Amino acid sequence: MEPNNTEILFEVVSGVLEAQAFMFADAAEKGDIPPRDGEYYQAKMTFVGPFRGTMALTVPMEMCTEMAANVLGLDMDDEQAEEGAQDALKELLNVACGQVLTELAGEEPVFDLTVPAVTVMDDETWDALTHDENVAAMLVDERPLLTGLWIEES
Amino acid sequence: MALNILVVDDSNTVRAVIAKTLKLTGVPINELLEAANGREALQILQDHWVDLIFSDINMPVMGGVEMIQQMKQDDVLKTIPVIVVSTEGSATRIEQLKAQGVRAYIRKPFTPELVRAVVLDIIGETDGAQ
Repeated sequence: MEPNNTEILFEVVSGVLEAQAFMFADAAEKGDIPPRDGEYYQAKMTFVGPFRGTMALTVPMEMCTEMAANVLGLDMDDEQAEEGAQDALKELLNVACGQVLTELAGEEPVFDLTVPAVTVMDDETWDALTHDENVAAMLVDERPLLTGLWIEES
Repeated sequence: MALNILVVDDSNTVRAVIAKTLKLTGVPINELLEAANGREALQILQDHWVDLIFSDINMPVMGGVEMIQQMKQDDVLKTIPVIVVSTEGSATRIEQLKAQGVRAYIRKPFTPELVRAVVLDIIGETDGAQ
């Protein structure tokens, strides 16, 4: 990935996180990311247009609950926030992916986006992400958020 | 006139956010209906009178574009204004949607002020708050 693609990822994802969930992210080096602690969700979606690829967001599960609570204006311990945790992560990715594609390709090209899917992250995938040059790292209240963009060669 | 509004999105969270945003706008609402995809929306439209539809594009089972195309086949349903709420920023896509009859396009994330302005424009009322 071009170095400025990780900058675009950080700018877009931190902006969407702030606008949608009132959460603030600081850019981080992947080497500064704290060791994985607890369970993580990964949301992933693909896109096809002038180029094709995949975008993903990986965050601690409890951060997804906080996102949902903030988006919906609920307390963290509200049942609806817990139920909406995966949904909130998918929506954050959905919005960020649309904005990243506009940043990369401009406003004319049409991309078809898939519906985001969420999986529980395993240790092996987490380790791979922290060494992947296509991944940007950030910290949200000291909690890690990894976002990656993989563009396939045409 | 209080409106019957149908919100079509596969995300419970997004439907809740749109519902909350609509309430914040002060637009008079009679009934707020929800559907998780285009097919569910078409089923609801068989049984309920709806004044305005907010719809996502990318949804499982039936997306927003196919829903709009099916609405165009029906003399009554084709008159219901559809506002697309989506993440896509392609000007080409927005033109394509408008050519298919979509009345307005709101890109996520959105503000209550934008939603209010779009709704008032469609129902032909001026914004007394401004």
